[in-house]
Amino acid sequence: MRIPCEWLNEFVVLDIDPRDLAMKLTMRGFEVEAVEEYRPAFDGVCVGQIMTIDPHPNAGNLTVCQVSTGLETLPIVCGAKNVRVGDKVPVALVGARLAEGFLIEKKSIRGVESPGMLCSERELGLSDDHSGIFIIPEDVAVGSRLAEMKGLNDFVLDISVPPNRGDCLSVLGIAREVGSILNQRAKLPIFKLDTSDSESVEDQISLSIANTEACPRYVLRMIKGISIGPSPFWMRNRIQKCGMRPINAIVDVTNYVMLELGQPLHAFDYHALADKRIEVRVADSDSVFKTLDGEDRKLVAGDIMICDGSGPVAIAGIMGGENSEITDSTRDIALESAFFNPLTIRETARRLGIRSEASLRFEKGVDGDNVDFAAERAVFLMNGIAGGTVLKGKREIYERGIGKTIFVSFAKIIDILGVPIEHSGIISALRSVDLHILREEENGFVVSIPGFRHDLEEYMDIIEEVARIYGYDHVPATTPGGAQQVQKRNRKEVYLRGMKEYLASCGFYELVNFAFFNLKDIENFRIAPSDPRSSCVPIMNPIGKDYEVMRTFIAANVLKSIAYNLNRGAKNIRFFEMGKIFFLDGSSLPVEYPSVCFAMTGREREYFWRDPCPEYDFFDIKGVVEGLMDQFGVQTSVTRSSEEFLNRNRAADVLVGDVKIGWMGEIRDEVLRSYGIEQAVYCAELRTDLIAQHGSVDAKYRPIPRFPQVTRDFAFYMDEKTPVGAIIDRIKGVSPLITAVGVFDMFKKETKSIALRVVFQSFEETLTDETVNALQEIIIREATSVQGVMLRT
Amino acid sequence: MMGETLNIDDLRNRIENEISVLKTLEDLKRVKATILGRKGVFAEFLDALKLLDKDQKRVFGKELNILKVSTEARFNEIEAALMEEERAKQEELTWVDITMPGKVPLLGKRHPITQTFEEIIRVFSSLGFAVAEGPDIELDYYNFEALNIPKHHPARDMQDTFYIKPGVVLRTHTSPVQIRVMEAQLPPVKIISPGSVYRCDHDVSHTPMFHQVEGLMVDKHVRFSDLKGILSVFIQEIFGANTRLRFRPSYFPFTEPSAEVDIGCVICEGAGCRVCKDTGWLEILGSGMVHPQVLRNVGYDPEEVSGFAFGMGVERIAMLKFGIDDIRQFYYNDIRFLSQF
Ligand SMILES: [Zn+2]
Repeated sequence: MRIPCEWLNEFVVLDIDPRDLAMKLTMRGFEVEAVEEYRPAFDGVCVGQIMTIDPHPNAGNLTVCQVSTGLETLPIVCGAKNVRVGDKVPVALVGARLAEGFLIEKKSIRGVESPGMLCSERELGLSDDHSGIFIIPEDVAVGSRLAEMKGLNDFVLDISVPPNRGDCLSVLGIAREVGSILNQRAKLPIFKLDTSDSESVEDQISLSIANTEACPRYVLRMIKGISIGPSPFWMRNRIQKCGMRPINAIVDVTNYVMLELGQPLHAFDYHALADKRIEVRVADSDSVFKTLDGEDRKLVAGDIMICDGSGPVAIAGIMGGENSEITDSTRDIALESAFFNPLTIRETARRLGIRSEASLRFEKGVDGDNVDFAAERAVFLMNGIAGGTVLKGKREIYERGIGKTIFVSFAKIIDILGVPIEHSGIISALRSVDLHILREEENGFVVSIPGFRHDLEEYMDIIEEVARIYGYDHVPATTPGGAQQVQKRNRKEVYLRGMKEYLASCGFYELVNFAFFNLKDIENFRIAPSDPRSSCVPIMNPIGKDYEVMRTFIAANVLKSIAYNLNRGAKNIRFFEMGKIFFLDGSSLPVEYPSVCFAMTGREREYFWRDPCPEYDFFDIKGVVEGLMDQFGVQTSVTRSSEEFLNRNRAADVLVGDVKIGWMGEIRDEVLRSYGIEQAVYCAELRTDLIAQHGSVDAKYRPIPRFPQVTRDFAFYMDEKTPVGAIIDRIKGVSPLITAVGVFDMFKKETKSIALRVVFQSFEETLTDETVNALQEIIIREATSVQGVMLRT
Repeated sequence: MMGETLNIDDLRNRIENEISVLKTLEDLKRVKATILGRKGVFAEFLDALKLLDKDQKRVFGKELNILKVSTEARFNEIEAALMEEERAKQEELTWVDITMPGKVPLLGKRHPITQTFEEIIRVFSSLGFAVAEGPDIELDYYNFEALNIPKHHPARDMQDTFYIKPGVVLRTHTSPVQIRVMEAQLPPVKIISPGSVYRCDHDVSHTPMFHQVEGLMVDKHVRFSDLKGILSVFIQEIFGANTRLRFRPSYFPFTEPSAEVDIGCVICEGAGCRVCKDTGWLEILGSGMVHPQVLRNVGYDPEEVSGFAFGMGVERIAMLKFGIDDIRQFYYNDIRFLSQF
């Protein structure tokens, strides 16, 4: 809400710098987002009065005006046709500067000397109006500097009004808050309607309301015989500063009163109303209605309609109809001011996609007590601007509700806020925002809620008002009572954090992607329809195709991040991402699992002058998986994977017992190509919850052996496809004295050859040669019992 | 070698001759033995000395001793020089160009969002808040209804919330965790809930997924002033002890009184800049006393207990801490970005 200080000043005396006021409003919960300064764009322009108008001797379309500036009378050549003798006009004297830097010089126009110029609003930078000379209001003194005219020097506060404070979408509402800040009371505008010789509204129009729940108050007032033209400068100036566009006197007055008092109004052309009657009712079936913007609007049962004798003339609180719209030829007006049910207005406005200044206020609830005052204010202003006669009285239906009251205990206020405020302080704080105490009781008080405060419903709302007015800054910072206990991180967090630390220390950068992906990703990864990973959770209103479903695995997003970086010049990448994956499930909510994905492509580094830098292969990704499992104490095994998105020769499923906890391997070229990647990517994805479930992060000390270890090397020939893992398992099974079996070489001439190093360690004694020799025999026997394995000697 | 041949000058010359041809440490060792060794020249002279008379013995003995001491010093000197020569020769073989690049160990980094999460959780853990989590896909009831966001509230409009199906949404904040925790246990409650949240918005300053940490404390006699106390400690831990902060009234459906917490602008230190829109202040989190209706919704009695809640955007805090000016940077996952933190 944009509030001009010059307007606000009519309600409260602003003896404060606008910037200080802005700060105080912000600290009251009305955040001032900007304080805009308005200054005239011109200099050296004074107010003159037209004394005479004579034709220009040499040019038929020009005139020569004798203009009094108080001190002297100057002959000024003028081309505009709108000036009359007696009008007050802006006179730009020689040396004056107009908007956009235009300088006034003495010059001769078609043979007549003109020591100045009369200006339009556009030339002065006041508006876009260039249709004629700006006629200055009569109350401005001749000879005064135009720059000092009211409204031209102003500050506009751009206030972010909280959504529950619809009452502050008006100058009056903000003035009430400012009054509370400055210890003043906001004054309502004072005016007097003159209806002494006029007809009575009651004789002109009838009113009925079918449903007073939808519309508890409706007022009609009338004005006849107006002539529609532009509204005066001061009104247009204020409307513009508030961010609205001036239209004509009647529309401008309805907007002006809405901005001033917060009550939206609607003007009907009286003669367009069939049977001269208005009925407010709730639509009971669907229909189509043409609004004044020419659009056909679809209405449904429940919408509130304003009807005349033949049918709808307006959608209540939202927009009028073409059929009863004010036009330039309108002479007689029926003016509506009402309170409509906020929820219904909101529903209708939202469905129709119309969010007007009026509906915005109606859907937050207007001040039911102020409905007629606003109507009176509007006909008064119309009368002053557009002439005509205000009709006597009004038509009104008012289903007055019972006034709302709330009980609050003093102790509760102090208990909740944690600050000992005096009872009298509480009461005067509330009174400053028109919350009056109906009665004090033994331990509290009952406060009556004014009609404009729809946000106050229970005691906590009143406590908030006390805190707001008392000032949050004056509430101390305290330490909560009760025992303070440092919280330990839970097991799941320890795992997640540990994995992130492990992977970062392995040279992987962490990614954070949106938890969505695309059905195309399922296709790219060749996930079978029967696979749970095809059961994606769909989003009803996705932001785009790329984010249409929740992801069921992370690898697709990781490939996208790899592609993004490869396209930007990166060659060697290690990435990991941890996050949730989502699956459709029979129950009301889908299931969510935590997952970790890591991937590597290229080589560890592009080059190092001393060493070769081989490209990554399967054993690099496998090593990261093995290290991770080792770190978290999970016993895993591998088996050939049948994942369709992996190169089947370099793909493994990771198992704990018989349970698959994830996969690792080289992503198939075809899959990579669908992401625009042209280099090998090794990737793994594992369920972190299963790792945590089977692992252990609690370190436990094992004594360091006091006896030396013994190592022996073995070499075997073996068939190409016999798994070395099987031989290692056999050897490990030979004796508990065997603490490690490593592969230290593998090569192939005619046959594949493998070299193993076995470590023997006893915790009880120094191992003798005899013991080790005996074990060595068994090791050879066990290893060579694997099909296709022979001792190499 | 007899008395008449006991000539110190001869001895001196002989030593000089031997020394002058010394080239290596081996030579030194050998020559040293022949001169100072047990059967060396000095030993011979000492033997011969015994045959002289008392006066001669004293004169020769003294001169001989002086020569011996100076010779020993000479040898030490020569040995040091030869050893230095030897070391230089050895080291010449191990010379490297120290300006050649070293082999930098490969290290990855955790995402700045993760780092910021960690930092926030660390502070609240030390203040006694336990971490609680909940599902990203939530029931409408937990995301809205229970939090006093009724059906017609603007926050529920389709343009803000991702719907999975009627009644099921992607959580728009982590507040539903508060409801789940309160439903599951009696007060006292002291939790924070970190996690991903989702809103239907994608432009320069919004991403459809982002991250929040929310906190909740409910107990007997929890006060608004306690909220100020806890958040002051938190902000000064995160942004430094000299950070100015202010609490100002705001509106959230699930808290009352509600407070927006601003910190003195970390960019311009209050002078006014683009980031703080010339106000000198930056909004950092929303907070307030838990609305009595929310307490009633979980079966707590607002006459018995009270509480406060707060929530903050992790990206917002990370942006201010690291000086990042575009929220979308977090989600491009460009290595040139990720490697900076
Ligand atoms: Zn700043």
